[in-house]
Amino acid sequence: MADVTTDVAATPSATADAPTGHTSALRLHLHIPSKLRNLELLLLIFACVLNGIAVVLVQLGALGEIRPEIIWLGGVLAVLAIGLHIALRFVAPEADPFILPAATLLNGIGIAEIYRLDIAAHATGWNADGIRQIAWTAIAMVIAFAVVVAIRNHRVLQRYRYIAMFTGILLLLLPMLPVIGYEQFGARLWVRLGIFSFQPGELAKIALAIFFAGYLVEARDSLSMVGKKILGVRFPRARDLGPILVIWAAAMAVLIVQRDLGTSLLYFGLFLVMIYVATARLSWVVLGLLLFVGGALIASQLFSYVAARFHGWLDAFNPDVYNAAGGSYQLVQGLFGLAHGGLIGTGLGEGRPQIVPLAQSDYIVASLGEELGLAGLFAIFALYLILVSRGMRIGFAGQDDFGRLLGVGLSFVIALQVFIVVGGVTRVIPLTGLTTPFLAAGGSSLVANWIIVALLLRLSDTIRNQPRLVIGP
Amino acid sequence: MSELTLFVLRFGFLLLLWVFIFAIVYALRSDLFGQRVKRMPDSVAAPFPAGQAPTAPAAKPSGKSTIATVSNAKRLVITSGAKEGLEIELTAEPLTIGRSAESGLVIRDDYTSTHHARLLLWGEEWAIQDLDSTNGTFLDEARVTVPTPVPLNTRVRIGTTSFELRR
Repeated sequence: MADVTTDVAATPSATADAPTGHTSALRLHLHIPSKLRNLELLLLIFACVLNGIAVVLVQLGALGEIRPEIIWLGGVLAVLAIGLHIALRFVAPEADPFILPAATLLNGIGIAEIYRLDIAAHATGWNADGIRQIAWTAIAMVIAFAVVVAIRNHRVLQRYRYIAMFTGILLLLLPMLPVIGYEQFGARLWVRLGIFSFQPGELAKIALAIFFAGYLVEARDSLSMVGKKILGVRFPRARDLGPILVIWAAAMAVLIVQRDLGTSLLYFGLFLVMIYVATARLSWVVLGLLLFVGGALIASQLFSYVAARFHGWLDAFNPDVYNAAGGSYQLVQGLFGLAHGGLIGTGLGEGRPQIVPLAQSDYIVASLGEELGLAGLFAIFALYLILVSRGMRIGFAGQDDFGRLLGVGLSFVIALQVFIVVGGVTRVIPLTGLTTPFLAAGGSSLVANWIIVALLLRLSDTIRNQPRLVIGP
Repeated sequence: MSELTLFVLRFGFLLLLWVFIFAIVYALRSDLFGQRVKRMPDSVAAPFPAGQAPTAPAAKPSGKSTIATVSNAKRLVITSGAKEGLEIELTAEPLTIGRSAESGLVIRDDYTSTHHARLLLWGEEWAIQDLDSTNGTFLDEARVTVPTPVPLNTRVRIGTTSFELRR
């Protein structure tokens, strides 16, 4: 990359000396071979090859033979990913080159593991989660393609912040509607239209991130400059507490009505981090965490499902809790699976991840941990780390505040979701039902996360401005 | 397929996974450690001690107290350093300054941080913000700690380079 950046930088410096100005700079820009995109293509091909190898290893491990049909379907996805890459060459040539390959590899490893669980469950055709996951990935990539091509300037989104707010709240409330909303696994998070079911809360996180970014850019002065100092920490005025109370109430409503601790934690955490980044005041985080922990503790007293989650977390290995309905059976089996995997895993297709309930969605991390081991799981976390750090970088190097906040918010929401899921599976925090971004089986989650990828690509393109003047070598 | 071949294959897969990650980390190393600095030739390094004395009085005259705004500041002029005399036109966009190639004004010397400072608009007024740089940003020889409005024709110094905002 050092070579890339110095070369990109060196060319305009030559033009800055010349008095000709903008037109020549533009012409020169078109002649620069886009090295960022070439780097991306190289990494993308590498990622697609790794995805192919993963599927082949699953077939060798679980079936003992290679069946080409799934590999052909995976090839379609590779073509779509490269299509997205080609689109970037035209509409976002300076976009970050690491986001797309990392997302593609995560998505492909997820498909391989879901396919492996299909083999164990003898599922074929449309009943197989793996086939559906491939179809959803294709849809999600096409939508990401559309987002990158349609949104040429992210500042347009700032204009629609209040529309984004209403869309977000509407999406959150949809599952509570009587006819289309329905309940599954004890949480009311799904919307069903005919055979087509969807989890609208996943898309709500994007809408809410856009709203928070737009709102905080306007409101941060009144949120950060005034207030009384108590114990060296400046606390906000009572009248500025409005928004945090509204978001807290919404999070509590999700917790109580939809019975989903994870989603409620995700939205509230997103809001807290964005308000902290916008105002640089710790008091918001302190206040918010106190509110949330207080609310969650009261909820755990009032609602049996929250209490059961806490109980299953603290006392997981107690045989009574283990055998109880809604007890810690899933959690403990997941831990046994991880232990079985050890350092380098049993190998793809050679473990027994299917013993854990929901191994293909909520427990995909435990399944991968069993078959790829600690080394493989940490590689997956490193991919998330790369993805998230590239998003945070937009907040660091960006020039307009809306884009910076949106980049931080979108990447943080991925990080927080991974933390909530992995923390739950590894018994660091109470288990909550959230999807692992890109890995877990589920269409809504894939679509939402690929839209996030598209937005991050768009944002990263705008921050890589060409230097206007270069001083020095 | 023997046990051994399968073991080698799955171990190879893990290895490739990590090769992929280190390939990315290797490619983004300039983000982590900053751009590599070349030792400056003597001719370039020389103006630093000498350049300070003559430009400081030059900054004093005319319109010192007028804050630079979008309407009255049209250009940024380099007053000392390697590219002395060059100027860039100011638009209504913020200008980032640093060693990073993504900065609007790239300064590569031993004193500049990767993301050093930012020239931003406060309403209509231009202000300079230090981005926690190692060697600091100086407005009229006073170190900038909080975003400070920049008066017209007043020297802003970053490392060996100084510039002024002019009409």
